[in-house]
Amino acid sequence: MNARALDEHLEAMVLALHAAVNRAMPHVKDDPALVDQALRDCEEILEVILDGDVAGWLA
Amino acid sequence: MDTPFTDKIESADVAKMPAEYQTLLKRVLAIQADCEIGGPHLYVRSILPDAPTKVDRLIVARTAAEEADHYRKVARLAGEVGEDVSALLSRPNRERYVNAFRGTITSWEDFAVFGFLIDRVGRYQLEEFIGCSYAPLERLLPDVINEELGHIDYGHTKTAEFAARGGRDKERIQGVIDAWYPKALDMFGNTGSRRSERYRHWGLKRRTNAQAREEYMREVDPLIRAMGLTVPDPTVGREFV
Repeated sequence: MNARALDEHLEAMVLALHAAVNRAMPHVKDDPALVDQALRDCEEILEVILDGDVAGWLA
Repeated sequence: MDTPFTDKIESADVAKMPAEYQTLLKRVLAIQADCEIGGPHLYVRSILPDAPTKVDRLIVARTAAEEADHYRKVARLAGEVGEDVSALLSRPNRERYVNAFRGTITSWEDFAVFGFLIDRVGRYQLEEFIGCSYAPLERLLPDVINEELGHIDYGHTKTAEFAARGGRDKERIQGVIDAWYPKALDMFGNTGSRRSERYRHWGLKRRTNAQAREEYMREVDPLIRAMGLTVPDPTVGREFV
């Protein structure tokens, strides 16, 4: 297992999660569509992380 | 206890260390990584879609992102000393090292108390490594502990809100505290653990299991009472004493 490659891949996913949360948080009251999309993005990214298909990520 | 090891070790030095040090270091990194990713496995699929408000859902997502990042940082350290912990990412909950991570969180009350009680134990576990002999582990602590403090504070606030409502809400949150409190105390391990002594000998931990558990109880018990709740009997429902 390439530890460095896994680290970089996971870091990219975590940054994408934070970006989605940060994009949505200021617009909770004024842009429900944007917030809903960000939440869907978060759920999708977290599902990929928790599936943990490391071999697939690094292939 | 005999004279503890006080040198600072870098990853390049680990291979020169005695086998016991290497074994204990790899074990503690694997357990820490397991606990970090074990949290999101408990609540993301069950709680994120149904948290009370969109702000709460975003906070659950941010919490999971931070825990996943903690896993990443610890996994990187483990990889540097030849310990592959990638399988922990998808390990079934029932196989987690620590009992508190072996179930599923299905209610918002559980999520609140998990932050209040279990993430607080997580902070204690991380604080064990302050000043530890493995320098790369100590270096990652400030950011990780700071984020854990945010999770604990959020759990504390939400738990206190439930208690303040009184009536059935207060009864329910008391029941959730009663369920998680013994699991929190068990997370510190056996009082007479020989392995705990060896961790201390090698400078990988600071306190005995009993010392850390007692400090935790001194911190959290008054917080429970301040919410008007009852501190559970610390001898009930325990696996390790």
